[in-house]
Amino acid sequence: MLNIEKFSNGSELTMALTGRLDTTTSPDLERDLRDSIDGITELTIDMGGLDYISSAGLRVLLSAQKIMNKQGAMKVVNVNAVIMQIFNVTGFSQILDIQ
Amino acid sequence: MKIIRGIKIGGLQQKIFNLILIFILAVVGAYAAVSYYQQKSLFGIAEEASSEQQEAITDVSQSTMQAVLEASLTKSTALQAYIANDLFSDVRTDVLTLQAFASELYEHADSFSAHDYYEPDPAKDGTASVQMQHEEGVDPASSGQLGLVANMSEIMLAMFESSDKLNSCFVATADGCILFVDDRSASYVSEDGEVYPFEVRERPWYLQAEEAGELIFTGIELDAFTGIPGLVCAAPVYSNGELVAVVGADIFLTSVSDYVSSTATEGGFVCVVGDDGKVLFSPQESGIFKAELSSEAQDLRESGNEALAAFVTQALKERTALTLIEVDGNEYFMTGAPLGTLGWTVISVVDKAVAYQPTQEMLSQYESINGSAMDTYRQNAGRSNRMVIVITLILVALAFIGALTVSGRIVKPVEHMTRKINAIEGSSQVFEMEDIYRTDDEIEILAESFSSLSKRTRDYITEITRITAEKERIGTELALATRIQLDMLPNIFPAFPDRPEFDIYASMDPAKEVGGDFYDFFLIDETHLGIVIADVSGKGVPAALFMMVSKILMQNSAMTGVSPAQVLQTVNGQICSNNREEMFVTVWFGILDTATGTVTAANAGHEYPAVQQSGGQFELLRDKHGLVIGAMEGIRYNEYELTLTPGSRLFLYTDGVPEATDAQGNMFGTERMLAALNNDTGASPEKVLKNVRDAIDDYVKDAEQFDDITMVCVEYIGTDKKG
Repeated sequence: MLNIEKFSNGSELTMALTGRLDTTTSPDLERDLRDSIDGITELTIDMGGLDYISSAGLRVLLSAQKIMNKQGAMKVVNVNAVIMQIFNVTGFSQILDIQ
Repeated sequence: MKIIRGIKIGGLQQKIFNLILIFILAVVGAYAAVSYYQQKSLFGIAEEASSEQQEAITDVSQSTMQAVLEASLTKSTALQAYIANDLFSDVRTDVLTLQAFASELYEHADSFSAHDYYEPDPAKDGTASVQMQHEEGVDPASSGQLGLVANMSEIMLAMFESSDKLNSCFVATADGCILFVDDRSASYVSEDGEVYPFEVRERPWYLQAEEAGELIFTGIELDAFTGIPGLVCAAPVYSNGELVAVVGADIFLTSVSDYVSSTATEGGFVCVVGDDGKVLFSPQESGIFKAELSSEAQDLRESGNEALAAFVTQALKERTALTLIEVDGNEYFMTGAPLGTLGWTVISVVDKAVAYQPTQEMLSQYESINGSAMDTYRQNAGRSNRMVIVITLILVALAFIGALTVSGRIVKPVEHMTRKINAIEGSSQVFEMEDIYRTDDEIEILAESFSSLSKRTRDYITEITRITAEKERIGTELALATRIQLDMLPNIFPAFPDRPEFDIYASMDPAKEVGGDFYDFFLIDETHLGIVIADVSGKGVPAALFMMVSKILMQNSAMTGVSPAQVLQTVNGQICSNNREEMFVTVWFGILDTATGTVTAANAGHEYPAVQQSGGQFELLRDKHGLVIGAMEGIRYNEYELTLTPGSRLFLYTDGVPEATDAQGNMFGTERMLAALNNDTGASPEKVLKNVRDAIDDYVKDAEQFDDITMVCVEYIGTDKKG
């Protein structure tokens, strides 16, 4: 139950997530990222429609962050309070560029 | 389906068989019907033609015959009449000559001397001679006329000899004597030499001539001496107004009837009818046309046969056309022609049956020809019919065999296929393509489909078997792994029965067989209890493996006696050095000083612990968080201290607790968790865990557990009780 919308503009890529990013749906996002991240210098993860993120989701974000650390920058936008709390609890707020 | 002689009744073979059989039977039936109809109509045409021909022949033949008959019969009748007329007119002429001669004699009686006359002399029998007879009681010598009329002897003799028709000719005197010429002298003389008397003036011809006063022909009379029926032509002779003699000629009926008879052909004859309507001459020996003595003869006009009467009446006057008259139940064609001289008529009679005989013959001949033709035709038709029946039977037999063969050929591969498919057992056998299925039609396609399906099914079954075996193996291994994992966690409670200053209870319920959560507690030294709760990212075997590594690393590091922050830093470094899978683990690690109740802890991205100070409520401790372990190298962690007064409790949990989700997707949340904790503030650690678990179960109800649920509760009891 995860919907991923991608908006590409040259080396800029925005992925808008809707639904739940959990054990079941994380592989979808991971695959999508792997397929489209080449040559991207600015990756934006839009979490406006995201209700929940599990540790599996966090792992995908971490992977993306690590890749983008090498080839550009990544930011996470429109994070709601529940997910922000998770980011805080897990310390991810320390390594993600959350706007 | 019943099976009779290898054919399945109601099966495909029988259906195809039926179809072919019906089709061929229909064709054969049509053939037979057309043949039968053709023959029937041909026969009808032949018969009709035959009967039409017959009618035509009858019509044409009969009308032709009638025309021929009319032409020939009228003509011949006229000729007969002419000839008869000629015959009688000769006699008439002779008699008239005699009458004239006699009249002359009497006129000039004085000029003639008496001529000799003689009585019949038997010696002259066979030779024509003049003879004299007289009535009984009459004396010829005293007759004054006999010598006179004897002068006619020579002329009568000459007349008799020159005519082959005259039986005799004569002159009879009024005084009862007669002179006559014939060659039958012996007939008139008895054996003792006496000449028979002859009643001259009683003879019919005498009386009739006397009465008529002119020439007459008598009816048929018997000859006075010979008894032979005959006809007499007689004429009276007058002298001075007195009848003095009667002259005449005698025609034996035989001589006329010989002639008449000669006209008689088969089925036809000529007869002469007198002016009195009586038959005078006829070759008929019976019936209405038989010539009878005048005394017995019947007037044809009074026979009661009106058609005949009308015909005879007409025939006596004029020539008639051919007329068909029924007489005595028989039909006759008749023509009549009158004899001018005598007022008689000649009637030619031809039996209709005989007239039409040629027609009948022609018809019978035609019929026989036609009959034999029809017989031949019938025979041929019969042969043809038998042929049609035989051909039909052969065709039906062929159709039967053909239908059987064709349907068999179609059905055989299907039956073979069915047997082969039914014979397949287990996964090792497959449906093999065989030559019998190479029919170049749907059966071949079906067989190929079966073959391919069979192979795929076998492969699939093999694969499924393999996968199932694999799964079972994995399942077994996972179950084993789960047990190993659980065994690795301290799970014997009470864990430290000889340590009354604290009580600890922990539980882990993995969502899958093996989970990524773990807890751990161990005594680092006599007074320091290390407590770990951790949650590995992801689930399943990878998480379990990562968890094992993490647990061992954590304990190893903790056992070195360094501070919690240092432990986390060390472990993070160790994990990050070899973490290509980018897995991470959240860890809360604390060290409880069992002597003081002080807890030194560091948090690597783990949930906030809940703390209940003695007598108070559980509250979340929003401690300082570091990043999860394994995410980044070189992370520094902060640590903090908290002091548990005796009776205080520390509740640690993984995200499986607040994130437990009901069927509608709503999370249990920390609020409900705290409520569950605070519902029973005096509960033992074991009871605390049970309370929370019950609350979760009550909330999610039947919804599936997505995440591992791991909880640890430590109650610090304190050392003062010892003392």
